[in-house]
Amino acid sequence: MDFSTLSINQLRQGLLDKKFTAVEIVNFFLDKIKRIDPQIKAFITITDEIALNKAKLLDEKISKGELIGKLAGSIMAVKDIFLTKDIETTASSQVLKGYIPKYSSTVYQKLIDQDAIIIGKTNTDPFAFGGSTENSGYFTTKNPWDQTRIPGGSSGGSAAAQTAGLCTFALGTDTGGSIRLPASLCGVSGLKPTYGLNSRYGITAMASSFDCPGVFANSAEDLAILTKITAGRDSHDATSINQTIPDYSKLLENTTISGLKIGLPKEYFTDDIDPEVKNSVLTAAKEFEKRGAKLIEISLPSTNLGIAVYYVLVPSEISANMARYDGIRFGQSDISSPDIISYYMKTRGKFMEAEIKRRIMIGTYALSSGYYDAYYTKAAKVRTLIKKEFTDVLSQVDVILAPVSSTTAWKIGEKANDPLKMYLVDAYTVCINVAGVPSVAIPCGFDSKNLPIGFQLIGNFFEESKILSIAHQFQKITNHHLQKPKL
Amino acid sequence: MKITPIVGLEVHIELKTKTKMFCNCDAEHFHIDPNTHTCPVCLGLPGALPLPNKTACEWCIKLGLALGCSANLISFFERKNYFYPDLAKGYQLTQLEKPFVINGKIIIDGQEIRINRAHMEEDTGKSIHITENGEDLTLIDYNRCGVPLVEIVSEPDITSPEMAKNYLLKIQQIVRYISISDADIEKGSMRCEPTINLKIEDNGQEFYTPLVEVKNVASLTGVQTAIQFEIDRQTKAFAETREVKSKTNKTTRGWDADKNQTFLQREKEGSSDYRYFPEPDIPHMIFTQDEIEAIRKTIPEMPDQKFIRYQKDLGLSEYDANSLTADIDFSKIFEKALGQNPTADFSKFTANLFLGAIKTHLNETQEELNINKINFDYFNNLFNAVSKSEISATVAKQVIVDSYIENKDPVEIAKSKGLIQVSDSREIEKIASEVISQNSKAVEDYKKNPASIGFLIGQLMKASHGSANPSMAKEILEKLLR
Repeated sequence: MDFSTLSINQLRQGLLDKKFTAVEIVNFFLDKIKRIDPQIKAFITITDEIALNKAKLLDEKISKGELIGKLAGSIMAVKDIFLTKDIETTASSQVLKGYIPKYSSTVYQKLIDQDAIIIGKTNTDPFAFGGSTENSGYFTTKNPWDQTRIPGGSSGGSAAAQTAGLCTFALGTDTGGSIRLPASLCGVSGLKPTYGLNSRYGITAMASSFDCPGVFANSAEDLAILTKITAGRDSHDATSINQTIPDYSKLLENTTISGLKIGLPKEYFTDDIDPEVKNSVLTAAKEFEKRGAKLIEISLPSTNLGIAVYYVLVPSEISANMARYDGIRFGQSDISSPDIISYYMKTRGKFMEAEIKRRIMIGTYALSSGYYDAYYTKAAKVRTLIKKEFTDVLSQVDVILAPVSSTTAWKIGEKANDPLKMYLVDAYTVCINVAGVPSVAIPCGFDSKNLPIGFQLIGNFFEESKILSIAHQFQKITNHHLQKPKL
Repeated sequence: MKITPIVGLEVHIELKTKTKMFCNCDAEHFHIDPNTHTCPVCLGLPGALPLPNKTACEWCIKLGLALGCSANLISFFERKNYFYPDLAKGYQLTQLEKPFVINGKIIIDGQEIRINRAHMEEDTGKSIHITENGEDLTLIDYNRCGVPLVEIVSEPDITSPEMAKNYLLKIQQIVRYISISDADIEKGSMRCEPTINLKIEDNGQEFYTPLVEVKNVASLTGVQTAIQFEIDRQTKAFAETREVKSKTNKTTRGWDADKNQTFLQREKEGSSDYRYFPEPDIPHMIFTQDEIEAIRKTIPEMPDQKFIRYQKDLGLSEYDANSLTADIDFSKIFEKALGQNPTADFSKFTANLFLGAIKTHLNETQEELNINKINFDYFNNLFNAVSKSEISATVAKQVIVDSYIENKDPVEIAKSKGLIQVSDSREIEKIASEVISQNSKAVEDYKKNPASIGFLIGQLMKASHGSANPSMAKEILEKLLR
């Protein structure tokens, strides 16, 4: 049986009905990983022993008739910036190589508490700094649809594992597009929730006021189940929200497409976009129109400032968040240094990847006295403006529909040596992070090279139930999300 | 040439909250096994996030209000970035733009010292430098990392080492009054960093010498001596170099308590850049005016108010009022002895016993005053006995100490020791008659010189074992010899 095509509920029900065992599921995925991952390179660490042990325990529970969690039977791939107790967490950087955390991130813990089984830790750009996984301190993950191409990033390992059928669902984080971009380029579904919905505790920080942990899955239906579990107040994260989490699964049918006002922001449909991508996204929009939705052209005039705002504020926060990686308490260090300053410089110089250093330098510069007002303060003001544009527009339309990326997956190496080009790949995703609103990315077709194309549905703060419901209804009438690469 | 010292003080107070500033670790760190009071948050582990300690924030506001500050209803934390091994995160959480409380003042020696702010921050760990097998090692203990600190920043209104010392004593007194810290300088729960320069007026011209911040001063006398040392050093340096203050020539000097001198630690302080920015991991701290007022209500009567009340309502002298209010615990116990609505006479009586006999006893025994051994009834009974002349003032001083040691009613003690004054005139007449019959020579002397009655009174007191009321003894002797 191909367990990778089964939904979360199908896997759980299959276990309860004794159609198969958890050990069979784990073995299926481990075999598949063994066969496929050497080419794709989605995983940094494969937790085969842990997975098999957990599966055995789960099977015992079932045979004894004990209660099982909502995710029993689901196999989870975890982006390597989530701390996993007793399992090496590298953040895909050499500076953290060998680090075995003493505690687990909240989101990961909530999922294993529901009997999800971790199968491995996935590759990313180091500390999630990048859009292709090419910055990883270990290797570049290949796009399963065309292995000469990148999977997108930073959560590229998770997206690749998802589309290659190496897991039931995968964990990612989205600071500027790091879930939606790889979801779109790999043809899977991914949710970037409202800032604060999912706890950031135990995830290596990139930009604290932007970071949003989220999930990849085969469908909006699975995203809904997972988000109900991960969301909510965490007493360890002061920025996590304190409100009741709706049962997203039950609300999947609640949004009526007929009469729905869908905003198409003109700034996201310019000539900069690849015509095939544009066509595919507009075709998706027309699917809604055919069923009675109203397509309304809207404007988010500050869109072109998004990248600039993002690359001032995010590196500023990064420059401080990276300071703790000094080699003193964890990770690799260069102990040949005669004094503390050269110890810092050697350790950080030797083990931090180039993109980390670049962002630390940008952030340090932006925060320096004499520049702070011109960069940080100004960017913070524009951030408020962008946020307001989104809430204003979302008071006129029900949801915003837009492309995720202006192109499909590009060739490995194509942009790797041009940081600015690489930064621009997030042009259609960053503003959503700057504002803090939720967005779900789902597949809507393929280009002439058979590379996946995705679009995103953007809602107002805490409207996950609405955008997941719209995404679900799209997936009921289309089958783009069911397409898998031949491997 | 006229020289005026300009001194500003930064005072750090370590709060005695149960837990640390941003995590739930035990905040105790004095004589604790290294790195046992730590967690992912205070160790700065990857992915750990800070959670502000509400009590610490409220105590910071409480202190500010006690210092006459006004509260910012919206305030936030900032990251102060610098590298040091005992600073786990590579930045310290502190407050720059919007501290909890601003613009206060206190009066020292009749002069107003303005307080710029009191803000909340976290302490660092401790670096311990040792040599082992000929190798220099630095060990780090993170137990202190993340312990809540309040920094009180004064304006440069202090003009002498003496005033600096008095300012510190006042801060210490206020902090202890509101019970937020032991404020013990020797133990490091109160630390002080003076910044010193001089205003020099010479031939109608004004000069300001470069700013010097002095670190590592670990005692009150150290602060005084260090400031005096800097005044002398800067006076001499100015005479030699004529260098004046600029934006870039602030220096940091360390205090060497053995040599009693400061030494250069860091030059060009003005060029250091901590790249402060708002802490994104903690939402803005928002307080309502009602919440601030509720915090204000938790502030007990402050020493200055108490000082005035003791004089006005209790009729105590300025000196007594000052001595009794110096220490909050001492004055609390004094007030326990006073009970409700004491009269001026009773207050004065009790104050004299506290500042006299009891204090002497405490000094001799090196004991702390124990509130459980102080009882309103004891003082009240004693006062009534003295008022009725049953107990003499001298005996009162003696029995109150016994009463304190034994935790017993002093009047009962006086009775059991036969120290009750005899004020029964028949009883005294009986003794007086005996004294007269046994001292015929002294009686003769008295008849020639009435001033010599002292001898007969002495004999009477002796015969009564000191228990006769001395003024009654005199009256009765005079009557019988008339």
